[in-house]
Amino acid sequence: MSLQVEDALVDATTEKRRSPTRTRLWGVLLAPPAIWMIVFFISSIAIVVMLSFGHVNDVGKAVFGFSLDNYKALADPVYLKVLLRSAMFAIATTVISLVLGYPVAYTIALHGGKYKNALVAFLVIPFFASYLIRMYAWSTLLADEGLVNQLLRDTGLTEGIRFLNTPGAVVAGLVYGSIVFMVLPIYASLERMDTALIEAGKDLYHSPLQTFFAVTVPATRAGMLGGVLLVFLPALGDFVSAQLLGGPSTYMIGNLIQQQFFEGHDQPLGSALTVVLMLALLVFMVFYLRATQRVNRET
Amino acid sequence: MTDQISTPAGTENVTSETPAIQLIGLTKKFGDTTVVNNLTLDIRRGEFFSLLGPSGCGKTTTLRMIAGFSDATQGRILLGGQDVTSVQPHKRNVNTVFQSYALFDHLDIEGNVGFGLKRKGLDKAEVARRVNDMLELVDLQGRKNAKPRELSGGQKQRVALARALVNRPEVLLLDEPLAALDLKLRHRMQVELKEIQREVGITFVFVTHDQDEALTLSDRIAIMNNGVVEQCGTPEDVYERPKTVFAAGFIGTSNLMTGTYSAGAVTVAPGIRIELPGHPELLDGSTASIAIRPEKIWIADFEPDMVRVHGQVAATVYHGATTQYLVNISPEIQLTVVEQNLVRSRHDDRWSDGDSVEIGWKPEHVVVIG
Amino acid sequence: MATDAMTQARRGRSVEGKPKFAVAFTALFMFILYVPIVVVVLFSFNSKKSLSVFGGFSTRWYQQFFHDEALLSSLRASLLIAFVAMLASIVLGTMLALALERVSSRPARITGTVALIPLVTPEIVTGVAALLFFAGLGMKLSLVTVILAEITFSISYVAVIVRGRLSSMSDEVEEAARDLGCTPFQALRLVTIPTILPALIAAGLLIFALVFDDFVLAFFTTGVDPQPLSVRIYSEIRMTISPAINAVGTCMLLVSVLLISLSLIVPRLLGRKDSSLDLISGG
Repeated sequence: MSLQVEDALVDATTEKRRSPTRTRLWGVLLAPPAIWMIVFFISSIAIVVMLSFGHVNDVGKAVFGFSLDNYKALADPVYLKVLLRSAMFAIATTVISLVLGYPVAYTIALHGGKYKNALVAFLVIPFFASYLIRMYAWSTLLADEGLVNQLLRDTGLTEGIRFLNTPGAVVAGLVYGSIVFMVLPIYASLERMDTALIEAGKDLYHSPLQTFFAVTVPATRAGMLGGVLLVFLPALGDFVSAQLLGGPSTYMIGNLIQQQFFEGHDQPLGSALTVVLMLALLVFMVFYLRATQRVNRET
Repeated sequence: MTDQISTPAGTENVTSETPAIQLIGLTKKFGDTTVVNNLTLDIRRGEFFSLLGPSGCGKTTTLRMIAGFSDATQGRILLGGQDVTSVQPHKRNVNTVFQSYALFDHLDIEGNVGFGLKRKGLDKAEVARRVNDMLELVDLQGRKNAKPRELSGGQKQRVALARALVNRPEVLLLDEPLAALDLKLRHRMQVELKEIQREVGITFVFVTHDQDEALTLSDRIAIMNNGVVEQCGTPEDVYERPKTVFAAGFIGTSNLMTGTYSAGAVTVAPGIRIELPGHPELLDGSTASIAIRPEKIWIADFEPDMVRVHGQVAATVYHGATTQYLVNISPEIQLTVVEQNLVRSRHDDRWSDGDSVEIGWKPEHVVVIG
Repeated sequence: MATDAMTQARRGRSVEGKPKFAVAFTALFMFILYVPIVVVVLFSFNSKKSLSVFGGFSTRWYQQFFHDEALLSSLRASLLIAFVAMLASIVLGTMLALALERVSSRPARITGTVALIPLVTPEIVTGVAALLFFAGLGMKLSLVTVILAEITFSISYVAVIVRGRLSSMSDEVEEAARDLGCTPFQALRLVTIPTILPALIAAGLLIFALVFDDFVLAFFTTGVDPQPLSVRIYSEIRMTISPAINAVGTCMLLVSVLLISLSLIVPRLLGRKDSSLDLISGG
């Protein structure tokens, strides 16, 4: 018996096998949530796409249509600038989260000892505080009359620094908002990694830093990719950080969408912006999935 | 292939002779792969029956079809003479001991063992009584209120057994139940399993890939390979008289040689003719495979009627109770010889690598296959 | 050498001397993580109306919060939304997880993938979509629409958590139940659900905390009165800066931390290992 045949047979015998009645039960279980998702999620996304080709009629009501006007309007430099800024902010957030989050994940995973679980819990708890409250907290801290500036003035070194309304503040808010989603997957992949690899690496490479980049980093690529996804996606669509820590000069695509629906009352244009955001994420997802497949193949 | 093929019996003529299980032309396909192929087999009442074979041979699938977890693609399954081929698992009077034990984590031991009885609607007192009796049988009466996670592997194993047996099924199916235990515990559980089976008298169908386990425990063994039964018989039958090359090779070690038969001998290699007396059924010029167990080959002190062959010792392996010699009788053919290291054995250490020796065996110990 | 390293690694996983820099960095990281939160809590007890100068301990902002009928009705609304969304999404999400874990057909696989999409969709997209959907149906925005939107988002979350738990549960456990006389539905009710119950409770508490805190979806789907607490806070933040917000924020923090702690503890109390920490960290 060839190995392949044997494998196939073993696979076949371990594969899930169901009698028809059981499948019927699972079908009954599947139907309600599947219908729910189709009605409330898929169809509502479809409405967004459809409305993005529509327009606002004379009495200010959004109607469906077949025009590309909304997309053409987005080619305006005013919008393009915001789109570009959103991308830059999201990329910066992701990179900074990776650079700051990796050492933390590394320290907890490899040097956490018996406090490892407690440290992870300690890390996670702040992220269950409302995102809004956390952004608000930063805005009060960084305000011109806020605590940070107060302390800076007390030292007498400076008359205070303007933090709010700067790109830095918005990106810092975004990083603070979701860095845990970078730390956790990296932590998980470091946990799974065989630490003997590092030992072996030490014999091969000169410095711990070289070992780190030659052994540890490649072994945790899957975790880093997971973190990149979990940080980049929400960052690109965020509008709260730019709203509370920034201003019109730091607005992101999320702020534009929000404006169209709550202030501008141009829902078709807002829909087109939403579709653009979805397309951007789709492109990102395609590259992301390719990258994960490559990593999975290599490891 | 089976030693008896019976006609399926209707309910009206069920007798004590009716086999506990009859599999008739049972076939299971997953897509294009045939995992069980036209299997026909009778399992008698009260016997300890083993399905033995390598992984992927279809033994577990067969067991799952008997239990009802897997639908047969073709063929029929009769339990006590009744056709249950399309009966759902919960309506079949069989119970299973799973390889992973599959205990219910949220219930204590009492709850686990009493689960099936409660489903049957027995009253509380009766359930408690039977659970107690069963826990006594498996020697776990003190752990009634323990949760599965508090038990050792061996104890979990016993709970799984008790949980199935307490329902007094017609047939107990065991899917490699000892595979997860360490060697020592496995041997102890083998003994216990056999004792319990004798005590309760229920038909056991035991799936294993471990030939020693099958030989030790079973009344009869079916050796499976590639979805078919290669041979079915008592442990002695399958060990001493393998009917196929696979059976000879899978159980124990066998010295297998194939060659052309002529004039009372088989030419297994150029110039090497092995005498094969007493086989009038073989025709001159036909191909014959012969198998000889290593312990049936002598390396000295021959008796007069023995067939003898010259060879050269290629390796000596000391095993404590036995010594194993690898003897080349031609450049291509190496035979394994196992000798008991008895005190009276006068040739201890007499053979070493490179020695020219003569080996021999009694003609009746040669098994002719095919 | 290699064996030494391996045994050492298995024992402590501490493979080299602790790099002081990494430890210090992590400590600083944790500190900064908690600064805003500590500040919110601290200034909620400020006797002054300042967010930078602490004037002394007082509960005046809490008194103000507890006498503000609008804020209180928002709090009640948020609790109601979280509770209903939790119940509904646990039921629907568990059904989805069970079906996806047990059926390997093509439609089931597609549904499984589709069910994951809300998790990788930015909330603003889900929010816009829900808003347009309800508008298209002519539904008046209210707590009902918020609840419907939150359920949709939460189903995916629950499904992922429960699937993770189910995949570590041997199929044989369910088969054992069938073997012992259960119909498929009884096996589900008497064995599968009780087995994964701790994970369900942990998932429920997580969902409650997430929905209670959620702002974006609520923002897009809420009507005028009563608004969920997070939406109310948002509009107040934009109008004025008041330590009363800190008091509300502190209460929200308390709810979240309580729920998360519960979700960490409950499985342990039930004697199982699967706490939400594992669910979150994927460990």
